[in-house]
Amino acid sequence: MTDGRAPEERRISPVIANRVLLTLLVAALLGAALLPFAAMAPNRLMSGQSVGVTTALLPWQWLSLAALAGVLALCALPRPFPARAARWVTLGAAPLWLLLVLYGLGDYATRALQDASSAARVSQGAAFWILVFCPVLMIVDAFQRLNIGLALRGLYTVGLGVVIGALFASGIFDALSIMREYANNRDTFTAEFLTHLRLVGLALGPALLVGLPLGLLARRRPTARGPLFGVLNFFQTIPSIALFALLVAPLSALGEALPWLKALGVGGIGAAPAIIALIMYSLLPVVRNTYAGFAGVPATTIEAARGMGMTSRQILWRVEVPLALPVILSGLRIVTVQAIGLTVVAALIGAGGLGAFIFQGLGQYAIDLVLLGAVPTIALAVVADFLLQILVVLSKPAGTR
Amino acid sequence: MIELQGLTKIYGDKAAVDDVSLRIDSGEFGVLIGPSGCGKSTTLRMINRLIPASRGRILLGDDDVTRLPAEQLRRRIGYAIQSIGLFPHWSVAENIAVVPGLLKWPKSRIAERVDELMALFHLDAGELRDKYPHQLSGGQAQRVGVARALAADPEVLLMDEPFGAVDPLTREVLQDELLRVHQHTRKTIVFVTHDMDEALKLASRIALLNAGRLVQYDRPIELLTRPADDFVRSFIGKADLGLKLLSRRWVHQYQQHATVQDASLAQTGYTWETDAEGRPICLHGGRLNAEDREQRTEVNQEWSATPGMTMKEALSRMVWFRVMVLPVLDDQGRLIGEVTMHGVMGQQPCA
Repeated sequence: MTDGRAPEERRISPVIANRVLLTLLVAALLGAALLPFAAMAPNRLMSGQSVGVTTALLPWQWLSLAALAGVLALCALPRPFPARAARWVTLGAAPLWLLLVLYGLGDYATRALQDASSAARVSQGAAFWILVFCPVLMIVDAFQRLNIGLALRGLYTVGLGVVIGALFASGIFDALSIMREYANNRDTFTAEFLTHLRLVGLALGPALLVGLPLGLLARRRPTARGPLFGVLNFFQTIPSIALFALLVAPLSALGEALPWLKALGVGGIGAAPAIIALIMYSLLPVVRNTYAGFAGVPATTIEAARGMGMTSRQILWRVEVPLALPVILSGLRIVTVQAIGLTVVAALIGAGGLGAFIFQGLGQYAIDLVLLGAVPTIALAVVADFLLQILVVLSKPAGTR
Repeated sequence: MIELQGLTKIYGDKAAVDDVSLRIDSGEFGVLIGPSGCGKSTTLRMINRLIPASRGRILLGDDDVTRLPAEQLRRRIGYAIQSIGLFPHWSVAENIAVVPGLLKWPKSRIAERVDELMALFHLDAGELRDKYPHQLSGGQAQRVGVARALAADPEVLLMDEPFGAVDPLTREVLQDELLRVHQHTRKTIVFVTHDMDEALKLASRIALLNAGRLVQYDRPIELLTRPADDFVRSFIGKADLGLKLLSRRWVHQYQQHATVQDASLAQTGYTWETDAEGRPICLHGGRLNAEDREQRTEVNQEWSATPGMTMKEALSRMVWFRVMVLPVLDDQGRLIGEVTMHGVMGQQPCA
């Protein structure tokens, strides 16, 4: 088959060049047409009245959105843009769409509440979330297809983050219900956010401290491998709420028995059981990836190192660790994201953290309070994932990158 | 000098290496050969103590190797293996510098040594110094592996089937280079292979092992002409024994005077035509059949020999061109003699 076209081009169906982009676009448009973009309620506890996209947004706003959708639709087709150009155009149009949706919502809230009672609330609807997530996924997809360097990706992401941050700082969202909740809970929010980070940190530190040597042990002693992974797998299968609950009784007994432990804050509820449970959940991925990382170092490389006269310690630090590091850090990435999510549940046993807002909101049926806990948790997980991904790439030795 | 005394390795109740004693003198190229599982690799790896010996002694010079700390011992012994085992996260220069680095040589001396070794192995330092192993060809990687083994100027070089994984063409080139480096450095080499042709080409001494026991330890020519028993005979292979022998004979041993521009064709049946500088242009005659006597054969790269060429190759060239004689040329391409089919057939190769 020598029809003169690049192999990648030949695979493309003649009608649609980028199925992912088109699917996302259709989903976004359907969502916008059928689902409420925002809701207006007389107070925070009552469910509001739904508002569609064309009602909520000013004509120039939704017409611009429609125009951007048109451009993106052209990007999904084989004509008029060549494949690479289409991806770059997507990288230009999708963030504009995202910012316009964000701005539109804030702008609508500001306008709608101008002559309403101070208890009235505007919150975001399903169509809003769809219109936010679709362009983000379009950007991710375009990056993947372009296969461009990490530096450029990072720069783009940080740039977009700064612009969104500036939107927040400008006060355009202040009228939104979730931001009102934030304003009401500003001090607690900062405290709980920091508690969340502290819980994650206090769990990951010991998990690494214990997990890395255990992973190495699993590599060095095949007999220890089976039982070790058996136990860790068992931890992983216990549902998180059950594990938190199971730890309450023994820890409270321990706290009673040893007053100095109680003085340190160890008791049936609070941070101690949460941290212990998080450590138990984090161990398996850390140990497994550490083991896999070390097992992936070619045996001949290690034999050569021994034959050259390296000591066991030199082999470990100069050969095995550098070659295993990317896999170990991938494990860290998994547990970090996992721990950020699990810490939410820890709020149930009084450990605090962003989960506190979620459960408080669920109790009061105040969805915006739930979101005040959920949205920052998601953002935290995404940011941590992104940063650790960069670390994984950087940790790859120059020769193997 | 390396001496093995009653070296034995027992796994379970089976002896993988059984009471092997041999001595490889300084500057010798010793080859351990034998079928798979004969214990040749195990023997090699006991020398640098990657495998501990069950019984027996190994002397490196005057030192018993078990008296030295293992790491110090290994830094005195170069080690090259089949899969090369280059460190994938280090550049070529960093790989070569490993042992000098472990020995804490000053940086400038290490850099000099790396350049020196890359030049010795015809590796372009400017191009390859900062390349990583995955960017090298198989032959280049293997050269780097051997250069790395030689980096700290070890007393002894151990090589475990180092050319087993490269294509035959590259293997040939690497063997020639190793011979050249051996002549240049006069290192004591212990080389493991299962390929008899490789052993015959490289070795000054061959140790043939079978089922853990040393069957015969001799110069290559003796192994071929005076095999100790039927196992040796069958391992060498009877089919091309004559050619194998010729692979240990050299053109200069068979070289005769060449007759130039002599009209008396009747006597030899052929004559050489040379230019003013004494470079041969062509040969008249020299064919098997008398009626081809007037046929000219152009002298060129393919149809000529050098004094250092093996007789096996010289014979092959004669056969290929169907000429009974082959010109021997010096460095300048001048005719210094000839080897003939009569000469090959008339001389006892075992002598």
